[in-house]
Amino acid sequence: MNKKILSFIMASSALVLGACSVQTEDEVNDSGTDTNQNVETTEKVSLEILGMGSNETDMNIVRDQLIKHGFDVELNTQPDYASYNSQKEAGNYDLVMNSWTTVTGNPDYAVRSLFITDGDYSTISNDEVDRLINEAALETPDNYVDTYTELEDTLVTENAYIVPLYNSLKAQAFNNNLLDSESIRLSKSRAFAWEPVSFVDEAMNETETVMYTQTISDLTSLDPIKANDGSINQLNTNMYVRLVNLSDDDQVVSDGSLSYNYAIAEGNEEYYFVLRDDINFAKVENDEAVDTGEMVSGQDVIYSLNRAKNPDSVPDHRTFSLHEHIDEVSLVEDLSELEDINLSDGSGNMLDALGKDLDSPIETLVEEADDVDNAAGDYQVVKLTTTEPFPQVLNYLGHQSAGIVSQKQLEAVNTYDIDSFDLNEDVPYGDQRAVTEGDSYDNHLYASGPYIMLKKNDYEATFQRNPGYMTNSDHSANIKNASVRFISDEDSALSALRAEEIHFLYGLNETKYDIVEEEDNLELQSMPSNGVSYMGFNMDDREVSESKDLRKSILYAISQEEINSAYEGNKLKAYSTLSPLIDTGNELTADPQKVEDFYEAYLENQ
Amino acid sequence: MKSYQTRQTVNQVRFNNGLTWAWSALFLLLSIQWQPVSLKMPLFYMFIAQFVFSILHQTLLKSVSVKGYHSEKKNKKVKLLSIILLFGIFSGNIFTFISGLVTLKKSKSTAFIYSIYMVLVDVLVISVTAMNVFKPFVAESFLTIMYVLISLLLFHSFILVFGDKWHGWHNNIKRIVLVLLALSSLIGNVLTLFVAVSLYKEGIAGQKGKRKTSIREKLVRNQAALLGLLFITFLITISVTSNFSFSQSFSESNNYNIILQEPSLIYPFGTDNFGRDVFSRIIFGAQISLSVGLLSTVIPLMIGGTLGAISAYYGSRTDNIIMRLLDVLYAIPGMLLAITIVAAFGASTTNLIIALSLGAIPSYARTMRANVLQVVNYEYVEAAHALGQGNWWIIRKHVVPNALAPMIVRATLTIGIAVISTSSLSYLGLGVEAHVPEWGNILRIGSKYLETNPYLAIYPGLAIILLVLSFNFLGDGIRDANDPHVN
Repeated sequence: MNKKILSFIMASSALVLGACSVQTEDEVNDSGTDTNQNVETTEKVSLEILGMGSNETDMNIVRDQLIKHGFDVELNTQPDYASYNSQKEAGNYDLVMNSWTTVTGNPDYAVRSLFITDGDYSTISNDEVDRLINEAALETPDNYVDTYTELEDTLVTENAYIVPLYNSLKAQAFNNNLLDSESIRLSKSRAFAWEPVSFVDEAMNETETVMYTQTISDLTSLDPIKANDGSINQLNTNMYVRLVNLSDDDQVVSDGSLSYNYAIAEGNEEYYFVLRDDINFAKVENDEAVDTGEMVSGQDVIYSLNRAKNPDSVPDHRTFSLHEHIDEVSLVEDLSELEDINLSDGSGNMLDALGKDLDSPIETLVEEADDVDNAAGDYQVVKLTTTEPFPQVLNYLGHQSAGIVSQKQLEAVNTYDIDSFDLNEDVPYGDQRAVTEGDSYDNHLYASGPYIMLKKNDYEATFQRNPGYMTNSDHSANIKNASVRFISDEDSALSALRAEEIHFLYGLNETKYDIVEEEDNLELQSMPSNGVSYMGFNMDDREVSESKDLRKSILYAISQEEINSAYEGNKLKAYSTLSPLIDTGNELTADPQKVEDFYEAYLENQ
Repeated sequence: MKSYQTRQTVNQVRFNNGLTWAWSALFLLLSIQWQPVSLKMPLFYMFIAQFVFSILHQTLLKSVSVKGYHSEKKNKKVKLLSIILLFGIFSGNIFTFISGLVTLKKSKSTAFIYSIYMVLVDVLVISVTAMNVFKPFVAESFLTIMYVLISLLLFHSFILVFGDKWHGWHNNIKRIVLVLLALSSLIGNVLTLFVAVSLYKEGIAGQKGKRKTSIREKLVRNQAALLGLLFITFLITISVTSNFSFSQSFSESNNYNIILQEPSLIYPFGTDNFGRDVFSRIIFGAQISLSVGLLSTVIPLMIGGTLGAISAYYGSRTDNIIMRLLDVLYAIPGMLLAITIVAAFGASTTNLIIALSLGAIPSYARTMRANVLQVVNYEYVEAAHALGQGNWWIIRKHVVPNALAPMIVRATLTIGIAVISTSSLSYLGLGVEAHVPEWGNILRIGSKYLETNPYLAIYPGLAIILLVLSFNFLGDGIRDANDPHVN
């Protein structure tokens, strides 16, 4: 018994001694620990942040930063866009996670519907902001930088209407064993262009199908003016040609568009386009794309743009606000009229500008499509006037919603009466039911672009090259058959790319860059995009709506460096939705002192 | 003919033998670095230690398996081996420790077996808590808790070593020891209660040598159930003590300087994409997983049990109304109902518990109804009626207690399912808020980095697996203990 007790005491003392060494460890560390205790921080108001499950990372970082600055934060995470939107409309938030992508590449689009009084997505009303947006819209790119900088100062620095978070990269990955790297374009704003893409082995272009992917399988509409979302941007861009295109760095160009050249007349209210004659509409017969022999003419352009700007031209018109500046579109009949017009930049007359680098100079302007013969010098010239001087209208003309459709085919398909339109009975042009496999299949599409959709199901949509599209130029499509797989989950899409089920993946999460770079047969391309993530304030009946000091206090609590490091350095700084488009020189730097100062000012003015 | 005690001992050693070999194999696997092929030396030394203990354990098994071995007789070789195997605990091998203790002691009372696991819980909690000393700083009350834990370990070890002398102690000392044991369960080590009850029962005159009939007594024969109980008790204890011994700043506060770090002594399970310590997150996550699991089992157990009992006892129209209404609820898939509730009312712990509880009510009601239907036909219920006792009294005193056993088995087995459901919903982003360290949440973040930083998903995944397995083992054990056919 005694022996046992002795050994027990020995074991116990060993344990106690062990505990002593723990204590010293603690004492050593205890002295210099308070690293994460910000001494100046005071207790602040409670904030409710609304966002979607996909914003989880951003919400977590913002929550953490605000809490460390003394705010009390509650997160309202909604699983999908519909429930997020209903919460947003109900006003159940102080701060809401937003993101905006300027798909047209021009600054007006980046601010107008977001910040102007009564804009589509605007919750703020500020006369100064309205004035600056309208003033800048009238200016050419050389002049508008100062105005937009002033606008940014008013929006963020002075009033803190938004809290900018970051500007994202745009990334795409593809299989470089199969696809020719040289043929893959990475563009800042415009959707991915399919026509230059080619297989490494060019013989495969005629026999093999190139596989693209997108997340949404439910297509809003294949009529360009009836949709403007992720389900059709890529598809419609490649199915319909436009008057102008955006280059990879967002310059307005005629390359690969319906026009040989375009020019702006003095006064910035008149815009002229000289049209090509080597683009025909394609249609689908027996699962094959065939050339209709009908040229994409000036009449089709006039018809397409008039219906684009008119809210009542179709039911569910979703893009007329983009084209509200178009006043009149017409064909020019008199060649001498062009000679008398001076260019906006004063570099000469209109005729010279439009005739630049043409194989055969402009001899006559014709009205009827049948009379067009570019080789003989007979051209169609389209004149577009705007309601006020608005040079950025060209960017909107490069947007997929300004795609050119066939007047003849649309008038043949859209026979319904607009007032008594019933979606259950009438199948309007571009409705996905017309191209979905099954009983309702009746492909009525007329494509003016490089590709036409043959059919679709829930799994994929198949496309074929337009045989009548710029047949003798570099811009005709290289690969005959294309397919778009619908893969809703990003991780599955990446797996499909690695398994060679798909050849090209558009849009890639920052955390997956490493995986793509480590694969031998994959290539990653990335560039700064026009996408900006920011937080908007609830401007209706909340503490944050009333006090701009409180808003500024929140603004300076956000550290974009920390956000960037959470994304492994793959995010860029942003100050507003204008940041990717215009170098205003503004930069948001977190400043705990300003957080406290503005909060104090808020308390005093209460 | 071997005695009952001897057979129990041999069974226990045989059970542990497989596990200790598996344990050393695990270290061998961990110590091998595959690309390029080499050995991680510290882990390999651990493997060698485990390997030696495993060989010793194998020898012990051989010595106790021979015909002439009787646990009551003195056996020098077995005694020596047992003492060496006890030190296995310092290398993290709890199996040799258990075998050593079991073979060392002549009399293996229920209290003794529970004491082993009670001490093991203390040891596990202390070692896990001690990992904090490698952190840049520790929680305010870390040292206090450490001292409390260590003194409890000493107290519990004392009971383990000298518990068999219980009968010789003075009555007052017995009382004080019992009260102290009961008090020490406050830190979450509920096994102390088992020990206290066992000691108390053994102390009652005429109890010694009596046939073991209660679940508590029969459970000690099922080693897997005891291991399950050990892990669950460990989690309960760490859930209680982590509030004081772990610093929340590591688990919930972002630190962008240490994003996605590999496992190290400071961050044993690595750090996630916000620079939070996954180890601390899993420890704090145990609180939520356990409490949601337990609550979303207890609530439907209560509601469903009551409804089922009322329904079966009164029969006819009452039965029809209640059961048809519950059938309607039964027709809705449980997970779908939970998803709908959370989507409608928002993601929070309370909503999650409500969502998971609602769907489980009908199945409990059905079980309880079947049991009560059987019990109400017994003579003692009839006798109670004949004596003029009220319905409510009969239900409470005679029916429910006799119909409860299958419900307890069912509840234990479904806690595991509740834990998995919680984690699944969190994994889908529908459980608790995203920043809360719940195991499903941790796993979800880990799944995004499965290829580049697999440890972010492996450890929370293991934690979920172990907890669910433990509840299943325990549930099986309780069922076996309850089953007259098995006895």
